[in-house]
Amino acid sequence: MVVGGARVASDGYPSTHRRRIADRVFRAFTLLALLVIVAPVIWVIAGIVARAVPHWRWSVLTTNTVGAGGGLDNAILGSLAIMLGVLIVAGIFGVLGGVYLAELAGFNRNGKQRGAVLRSATEVLAGVPSIALGLVGYLALVVEFHWGFSVLAAVIVLSVIVIPYIARGTEVALRQVPTNYREGAEALGMSTGYSLRKVVVRSAIPGIATSLLIALAISVGETAPMLYTAGWFTGTPKASLFHQPIGYLTYPVWTFWDYPSDQAHYLAFDAALILLVMVLVLLVIARLVVARSQRFAENRRN
Amino acid sequence: MDPVLEAQRDQTHSASEMDPILEALDPDRTRPADVLHSNSLSLAFGEKAVLSDVNISFRRGTITALIGPTGCGKSTFLRTINRMNDKVSGFRHGGDVSLEGESIWAPTRNLLLLRRRVGMLFQRPNPFPMSIKDNVVAGVKAHQIAKGKQLDVVAEERLRQVGLWDAIKDRLNESPYRLSGGQQQLLCLARALAVGPEVLLLDEPTSSLDPISTEVVEALLRELTPALTLIIVTHNLGQARRVSDNTMFLYQGELVEHGPTAQLFEHPKEAHTENYVTGRIG
Repeated sequence: MVVGGARVASDGYPSTHRRRIADRVFRAFTLLALLVIVAPVIWVIAGIVARAVPHWRWSVLTTNTVGAGGGLDNAILGSLAIMLGVLIVAGIFGVLGGVYLAELAGFNRNGKQRGAVLRSATEVLAGVPSIALGLVGYLALVVEFHWGFSVLAAVIVLSVIVIPYIARGTEVALRQVPTNYREGAEALGMSTGYSLRKVVVRSAIPGIATSLLIALAISVGETAPMLYTAGWFTGTPKASLFHQPIGYLTYPVWTFWDYPSDQAHYLAFDAALILLVMVLVLLVIARLVVARSQRFAENRRN
Repeated sequence: MDPVLEAQRDQTHSASEMDPILEALDPDRTRPADVLHSNSLSLAFGEKAVLSDVNISFRRGTITALIGPTGCGKSTFLRTINRMNDKVSGFRHGGDVSLEGESIWAPTRNLLLLRRRVGMLFQRPNPFPMSIKDNVVAGVKAHQIAKGKQLDVVAEERLRQVGLWDAIKDRLNESPYRLSGGQQQLLCLARALAVGPEVLLLDEPTSSLDPISTEVVEALLRELTPALTLIIVTHNLGQARRVSDNTMFLYQGELVEHGPTAQLFEHPKEAHTENYVTGRIG
């Protein structure tokens, strides 16, 4: 039945046929998008596990690399040391930069926010390819400063790469803190810094922790800037910031696959598996931190 | 000497003898009777004038209700008193507000101390994301009024004062967001009282609460005087009548009328006031 050009169902209301089809199509697309996101994750994990596990030796964790064989103890310890360094350096500057952007950057006389320069700078920095930063780090720190391949050069370059993520993540997390809290703290006579530390940051911790986690995952997975700054070292990492190359897990993944020996290939996949486990552990730690910090959160899900 | 005069002199104690007694009866007796004074205060955000030429004094130990239609400048006026508007971009003020004779904007004024003396309770309960006990003592810690075990004492004392202690004494380490809205607001009141303010600003403190919680809060407000001076913004005319000693009526950025509550409601001098309190304008 057609009345005035529109299809009308037998009960007199306009037909919902088209809307129901549109709804189904929309649902199908969201499901498809989900699959496109999840499938590669499963694929990567399954692929690495399938190739690393069959010839897994526990001695990989305890022995150092010898040529393109042996174990990965040196690389694991090196990666952990570098992550710790990045967590300290990038964590401090990234979080403080984010706090400045979100809370302290006031307005200048023209009514523009003063943090604009800093924000643009971090955005540009986030867009610079990591290999370019690695090259700059190599020329400036390794060559010009005569540091040689060293932990400090690696930590600084990695920090420069991840600071934008941390600053941005911190800023976003702080901006989502309800105005209620700030006003309440202000009205009690807390200073800006005190209310930030005791009230505001507390509810931004999940966002900040997540950004730190992403930063660590990025830094443990970077390869190009590491080749330029950390070099490669098959011995146990030494407690020296300068003139001392250090091992790290992405090196075997990148290099050993090209070697004409099964031993080297196995080691490449072992390193990939260990990297994967490290990232998963980071995820779990971040979840625990978030859960603990959110005991008193307003929107806590029980 | 005349025996009658002599007997009188015996009964008349010298000022120095009486002082400690009077001091104990009323610790504030040597302080000015008007705690707050607004002297031709005008407020504006950028080009937009919000309040013009408000002159009013707030007597120590009284409750003043601030009424008027939406957008009349009630909240702006209230938030100016503890300088919550200072940071709002474009905020300008003319005239002055003085707390015990000294301008709140005086260069010698310590903003944090001003806010300790002039506390505030907001429209929606805003407990911090920390345990109930930490909420009560948050301001106490910030101002370093007490520490360690003393904090427990402060927390108990203030929770008793607002009548929450018996209900939540076993839940002091739990999240405040599991309390009901009314209990949350009482918690915020306890938190505000814990730093020992002289003036408490209340911005529609019961508008998000149910009628029973509202009644509890209103009863508490009466108990807080005369130790505190209260200024309460309210949309609820019944509440203004029930709790306040004085009422001020703001209309379109001007203080139209102020005076004792009963008089303002029953015999308003201005036509606008009468229209508002009788519900002809809203």
